[in-house]
Amino acid sequence: MTPLRLLWYCLWVAPHALQGIILFAMLRRRLDRQFPMFFLYTAFEVLQFVVLFTISRSHFHFGPGYARAYSVGLALSTAIRFGVIYELFRHFFRRYPALGGAGALLFRGATIVLLLLAVGLAVSSPGSSADFLLNATYALDRTVSILQCGLLISLFSFSRYFLLSWRSHAFGIALGLGIFATVELATSAVWLHLGTFGNPVINLVTMATYNGCVLIWIFYLVAPEREPQMTVNALPKYDLEIWNQELQRLLQQ
Amino acid sequence: MTITLILAVLAFLALVFLVRLARGRASVSKVLENPTEHIRSVDVEAFRNLVDRDEEEFLRTNLPPAEFRKIQRERLRATVEYVSCAAQNAGVLLRLADAGRRSSDPATAEAAEKLVNNALRLRLYALHTIPRLYVGMIFPGARISPAGIAESYEQMTRLVVLLGCLQYPTRGVSAAL
Repeated sequence: MTPLRLLWYCLWVAPHALQGIILFAMLRRRLDRQFPMFFLYTAFEVLQFVVLFTISRSHFHFGPGYARAYSVGLALSTAIRFGVIYELFRHFFRRYPALGGAGALLFRGATIVLLLLAVGLAVSSPGSSADFLLNATYALDRTVSILQCGLLISLFSFSRYFLLSWRSHAFGIALGLGIFATVELATSAVWLHLGTFGNPVINLVTMATYNGCVLIWIFYLVAPEREPQMTVNALPKYDLEIWNQELQRLLQQ
Repeated sequence: MTITLILAVLAFLALVFLVRLARGRASVSKVLENPTEHIRSVDVEAFRNLVDRDEEEFLRTNLPPAEFRKIQRERLRATVEYVSCAAQNAGVLLRLADAGRRSSDPATAEAAEKLVNNALRLRLYALHTIPRLYVGMIFPGARISPAGIAESYEQMTRLVVLLGCLQYPTRGVSAAL
């Protein structure tokens, strides 16, 4: 086995073994009830790996049977990831009821705008492969990447503008998913340009990124959640004067 | 090729944004440790005068149109500055109140919850008021009056005082904040 092949196997096996730890940690800390879609996603990834690894070790190897199982798994995994993103939106805005309406508007608005953008790109740049089905798959892959990456960036930008605090677990899940979505966006664009899947370097980069994302999930889900402490000393005098005036006015009413 | 490049650059920028966001999470606790550095002065009375509709109508009827447009642009520029300051202060108070929401005292937690909601509304209001004010600078004759934001800011400052009194009843407002 060549060193590159060994590296490839390590990058393939390692994240799924680590995802087993995530599942265990989530069950132990009862996070599966808070993030059921993320729990489902992690469990599905582990199951998919077991199936694909078994197929690759059988007489099918990495042939058409493997490719079919991989495609079905990828489609299901992608669908579940949308569920995870929706779960993050809901989890986040549940903490801030005043933004509930704006949050729903953001999710719907961002989805429509990103979908229009992605479809527009798919029509204007249909891909360089001669195979129609392959081109459609590439275009769909890119559309999904744009949607997932865009939705997560919208959520992060929104929380940044409103200076909202994230619970550590939700932030970790969103960060890992966001990083993976950005790398997937770049690779999907490259696949479409090359007109072929399977560039070894890009495969390794994607797999290494996924390993990094799983480590981020472990870090945030296993580590105890930190709560910000209110250790405030003093505010400038002029503000206190205004606030004291307001208090006086309030008391006089 | 161009679209591939654009998407790759956008993905890279998104990645940088996410990494910076992860590193910037620590800044939340810095704000809580020393809010004085982040609070900007807002004279509520001056702000109220600036966004007063009657004041604007008075200027509109008593000044020549060219002069009114010039003065109105200046007033709107100052209003943008006030709204930005109020939104920034709301952000600081939001973080303070967010920490207060986890208080074991129900009254403190309730006051903190109200403050969070008010601060969020103010920032939301600032988000769509500032572009309108800029439009107003381009068309100074248009009637744009963000008076509600001054009310919202006043309501928020009252809640800050209330929250401070609830958290530190024996030490007064300044000690609480």
